[in-house]
Amino acid sequence: MNTMTILVADDDPVIRKLFEQRLKNAGYEVTTAANGTEAARLLDTTVFDVVITDLVMPGAIGGIELLKIAKEKRVDIEVIVITAHSSIDTAVDAMKKGAVDYLEKPVNFDELFLRLDKIAEVRAMLKNAGDLREAMNVTEHSAAQTIQDLEIINCRQRMLLDRLEGVLSDARSNVDRRIDRALHLLATR
Amino acid sequence: MLKITSEEIKLITKYIYDISGIYLDESKKYLLETRLNTIAEEQGCASYHEFYAKAKADASKVIERKIIDAISTNETLFFRDASPFQLLQHKIFPELIDARTPKTPALKTTLKIWSAASSTGQELYSVAIVLQELLGDLSKYTIKLLGTDISDAAIAQASSGKFNKFEMERGLARDKLTRYFTPAGQTWKISDQIRAMVNFRKFNLMQPFTGLGKFDVVLCRNVAIYFTLEDRKKLFNKIADILEPDGYLLIGSTESLTGICPRFIPKRHLRSIFYQLH
Repeated sequence: MNTMTILVADDDPVIRKLFEQRLKNAGYEVTTAANGTEAARLLDTTVFDVVITDLVMPGAIGGIELLKIAKEKRVDIEVIVITAHSSIDTAVDAMKKGAVDYLEKPVNFDELFLRLDKIAEVRAMLKNAGDLREAMNVTEHSAAQTIQDLEIINCRQRMLLDRLEGVLSDARSNVDRRIDRALHLLATR
Repeated sequence: MLKITSEEIKLITKYIYDISGIYLDESKKYLLETRLNTIAEEQGCASYHEFYAKAKADASKVIERKIIDAISTNETLFFRDASPFQLLQHKIFPELIDARTPKTPALKTTLKIWSAASSTGQELYSVAIVLQELLGDLSKYTIKLLGTDISDAAIAQASSGKFNKFEMERGLARDKLTRYFTPAGQTWKISDQIRAMVNFRKFNLMQPFTGLGKFDVVLCRNVAIYFTLEDRKKLFNKIADILEPDGYLLIGSTESLTGICPRFIPKRHLRSIFYQLH
């Protein structure tokens, strides 16, 4: 069961349709956008796990710009860029800017599904690590409070003992007076 | 995987203690095997006995360094356990700045902070970010932020200022992430401005602290837990020696100095504890 939500941005209606069908058949939840601007608008209103975008799209927002917008919206969103063989350099540049992967045209869907499986796997591991971290934080927090209380109590007791020792060994007053003062210290602590 | 015998455990744990001060008892068999296996195999050793002999005989100390890198645990989160950083921001730094600001306005305020087991740098960079956010214009301050660790690999990673993308994106608030880091491939890189505030170098806490100078704040969190009681006593005594008389010590939130160093007094602020000299 694939539970990830995917946004596909491509100006070619045929490719868009192809992506939509193949991904839906594989069980993904898919939304498509005909250009970068539409995709950016969708990112405003909907939460996606993965964005698959053509690098070259007409209009103000191309693939690289969309990548930047997506990463600004949600830092853990994964972006796969689609590129023509001739523009591999741009794809590498996209990866430097935070894209998780790139695919060459024409897209090999088996390859795409493998990459999506990997992304899902990593997300599951991260979620698990996050859950464990959360559990650890809760335990640690509660242990810390107990330890802090004990640390403060212990310090007070230690200081009280130091003062008692001082009072009881004070050679300037007699034994009765020392005991009186020690008892007074204990009563008013 | 290479199996370790109980006799070898004794040999190796003693060796690790000698080179690092990290005390592992015999219950740490699994940890030893998982962390040392790769290095032992890489060295072509058929047993841990052989591995031990090879490490001891290695004059270049390459194997020793690899063992230390593998055994010392590396904290990997920024602002992990937010309370010490809130304590620094809202209590310790404001108090220190009050105390340290010179009467002559032309003079700079000096602050010296030491992250004693800085690992891969997240703690010290977090402190630098807190200072940057608190002070804004740093030109009126001389800030010395020192991070030390026993592991060469940890120091190298800390110095690079590059951090794992996945850890970062989940560990750090978005505003801090985008303000202080830039994406670099599968990593995030700390901004040059923050990087320039800190220094990292290799240091073994078992050694004397001569030449380190004095500090206003020492962070020694979650490292003494790997030391014996005797070594903990020595460590916190040495820290007491290099702390300014009104300086601050922060230890891990589940650590305690009870029975370890009576020179320090615990003080509570909100839900955190810090230590000052008696």
